[in-house]
Amino acid sequence: MEKQGRIRSRGIEVNTMIILDASGFNKEPHDLIDDRLAFIEAVRSASIAPVNGIAPTKKMCAAIFQIMKDEGSLELIMASYQLLTELDKHFPRVYASIVEKSESPSPGSVLELVVVEEAWSPFIFGSDCEREDDNRNSGSLDFSGFEILIQDLAKVAVGRKIEEFETKYLRSMVLLQYIFSVLQGDFLPRNSVFKENMDWNLLTVSLLNILLGSRRISYKDLIKGCLSIICEMSHLHAELSDDMTLPKSSAAELFKSCDTDLAISFPEVRKCVFTALQKFLLMAMELDASRKKADTLGLTTRADGVRTPVVEIIQDELTYNGDAISPFFQVFNEPKWKMEIIVQYFQKYIAKPSVRTRRTSEPIDDATFDGVLKCFSNINSVKSITKKISIEVAQLLLAHGFQAYLSLSFQHSAEGNYKSKEDVKDNSMAEVCKNIISAFMNLRRIDEHVEILPFGKEALFTAATILSTKS
Amino acid sequence: MMDVDEPLDFESEDHRLRKAPAATKRRKKVIGLDDLVNDHLKENKKLELKSKRAKARKDYFSDEDDDIREAKLSECVEKCQQEMGQISGDEEICLWGLQVFGKQKTLPQLAFHELGSCGLLQSFRGNELNSLVELDIEKGEAFLERLLVNGWLLKLLDTCGHVEKSIATWTCNLMLYSEQEVLSASACDFWISILSPTSKIKIDWLPKYSEIKRALEIYGFRSDLPSKFSSDVEMVNTDSDCGGPPQNIRAWIKYVAACVQVRKYSIISTSEAEELIVVLIYLFLDRLLLGLSVILRECMHSVINFFTDKEWSTSCEEVAKSIACRVPKDMNCLRTVESISGVDERSKHLRRAVAFQILVACLDIKATDAEEILRFLISINVKEKSCDLFKIYIYLVLSENWLLHNPTLEDKPVIHKLWGVYLRHCSCQITSTDLRSYASKVRSKASYLLQGTSSK
Repeated sequence: MEKQGRIRSRGIEVNTMIILDASGFNKEPHDLIDDRLAFIEAVRSASIAPVNGIAPTKKMCAAIFQIMKDEGSLELIMASYQLLTELDKHFPRVYASIVEKSESPSPGSVLELVVVEEAWSPFIFGSDCEREDDNRNSGSLDFSGFEILIQDLAKVAVGRKIEEFETKYLRSMVLLQYIFSVLQGDFLPRNSVFKENMDWNLLTVSLLNILLGSRRISYKDLIKGCLSIICEMSHLHAELSDDMTLPKSSAAELFKSCDTDLAISFPEVRKCVFTALQKFLLMAMELDASRKKADTLGLTTRADGVRTPVVEIIQDELTYNGDAISPFFQVFNEPKWKMEIIVQYFQKYIAKPSVRTRRTSEPIDDATFDGVLKCFSNINSVKSITKKISIEVAQLLLAHGFQAYLSLSFQHSAEGNYKSKEDVKDNSMAEVCKNIISAFMNLRRIDEHVEILPFGKEALFTAATILSTKS
Repeated sequence: MMDVDEPLDFESEDHRLRKAPAATKRRKKVIGLDDLVNDHLKENKKLELKSKRAKARKDYFSDEDDDIREAKLSECVEKCQQEMGQISGDEEICLWGLQVFGKQKTLPQLAFHELGSCGLLQSFRGNELNSLVELDIEKGEAFLERLLVNGWLLKLLDTCGHVEKSIATWTCNLMLYSEQEVLSASACDFWISILSPTSKIKIDWLPKYSEIKRALEIYGFRSDLPSKFSSDVEMVNTDSDCGGPPQNIRAWIKYVAACVQVRKYSIISTSEAEELIVVLIYLFLDRLLLGLSVILRECMHSVINFFTDKEWSTSCEEVAKSIACRVPKDMNCLRTVESISGVDERSKHLRRAVAFQILVACLDIKATDAEEILRFLISINVKEKSCDLFKIYIYLVLSENWLLHNPTLEDKPVIHKLWGVYLRHCSCQITSTDLRSYASKVRSKASYLLQGTSSK
């Protein structure tokens, strides 16, 4: 049965790959594009269209990836990207499946990880050198390829004006999205099975762990690269249309010098890149969290190495570069981890060193947003905090923390299982609103002339309005 | 383990990333004509040298002789060029692409005077906190814009569970017409989230299908696109100021995707959803929107899944017919079929149906029976000089999409047999030396498909 399948897929490979073969013909550029489109369509119709389609072979996948990575035609880039994501959906490399177990001591269903060993991957991580050379032609990405991609995008974002925006950058952005979705497809099922059975090995061999733990790339630079892509691309965005006070400046005007098709796609692709970057950072954070769990259970070994948690790197970066706070939290709005970063940031300046121990699992009082707000209700501690962080930064962090708090509380209420505790929750929400207001009042009390940032004003308005509807 | 000591070689990596070695080889082939010219120039140089030598010997003889030789050579080169042009360049470049958006109408005024009186701002009046917030009701709109962009507005409405009409109309207008990308996108996110099935917010006013349609008209959408015109006239010229749709088209697509997902508000009816599918197909045909194909596909997916199973079986056929009579019968109709993703049951169904209806419309015959259509296709003599192979190519691709993996034809061996006959017909009767345009395309497509049928 399996053998038959292999023969069939081999047959499809030969037939489809021939479409790409341009040797012996004098082909015009548009013919080459046509051939590649025909190839993509052929793979689609062989693998996705039939009810029991077979996954394309490695060679075919590599060819599609190569098209996405190297082509200059928007049509081909989009078509190959879509086919690859579609194929990943149909033929996942890794997935969790529920296995019914009746014999085991505890009958019921168990989550198990299924890894398709022979599946193609756009990465060639952790392979020996020989194979790497072998793979050079297949166009897969290795560690440095990945690093370069991030650096390139960061550079593009810094140095370029929107007028210089070209298909090339759009392509890198699309490529990055795909890469992250592959990492995610590999990591998420592993992590969810890990949470069930605590098998740390599942995560050690995950692409994400191999990538982040590799000594071939600078892990910190990678994370910083992600941050700088976020910040710089947000600036582009700001240049385009963020200035609220100016009379309507048409985005189309600014785009006039570049092609309209790129101009229309750019905001969309950028948004997707932001989402992808956020997903990547979140995955890294989840990995850190799982790692911590494994650590406490004594499952990790020395081979696992040491790595600074992502949250710490981000928080350091935000400390040194205050300008990054606004754009970063604009993009990174997953409430749970946003709150984590903000609370850790404050903790650094609020917590007394004697209390602070690295590996306590018990919650300390100020390790929550409530704790932070409590500190801001005391004028003396506000004074001492503002000696270490500027009033602007404090405002921004408080307001973003408040936003994350609101999101979290709506998430809980949407899940809907807290019906009986509704009053308690409302009370605490009112409490938090009051505390936010008094925190800002205290900031003003320290310095009469302190300017409340627009974002702070919006937070205050929100807090006051919520209070008035609750009362 | 990996080799840690080995330095990172960015340069070579970089090089490898950008340039496939194969690409350069091919490029060489493409500029074959330039090579010819180069050779010609080299030849000229040689001649020059020769003539100089000759001149040194015999002053009176050389000039004329050289001229003749030169003329002969360039004549030869020209002839070569012409012949090559006939072989490779004769193939007309047929690309898909319609200019779906014409001139934009003026966007409606966005000033909202009643916004100042909206409850949200009014309730804040006289709040003691205003010494900090310094809210000026006159500039209420700018403040609300910031609340919207920064996500506060959604949080506020989540707590009060109610969207006033003034806020609803204002955000809807921003979404569809604001020239500031950030406002349009934020308003769109706002609507997607209040329309989400988990949201319990009460909404006083909803933009109905008429609003959606009106927006499209204002963007310059040409719903009256003629179904037959030469495609090269309509080829999108990116550097002309034809404008294309405004940025808001993205918000439009996303809003449509969101509002067809919630049936409880009945924002659109079944027939309107059918119309939307046709509109989306048109959007796929505009090259300017190529970069948006991901969200266009998502939108198409949502609209297709709007229908109940019962509605779908009839609506699908209706939509297919309506598309078939409107789409130009050139490369655009192939793009039409290919733009339907065909990843789930419904879109596979639609893809088959559209391919079939377009094929029927192209053939211009009365038959709608699969067997008759195939017999008709087989009866076309592809060997005949006057036979338009471009059309044959289109028929071939359309029938492929209609017949392959078609569950309704699974138990009809006759159809499969005829399909095989037709493919053999196309692949064998056109020789590899046939210089007609699309000859090689038809031949290779047919033989590729033939491989598929024989391996079964």
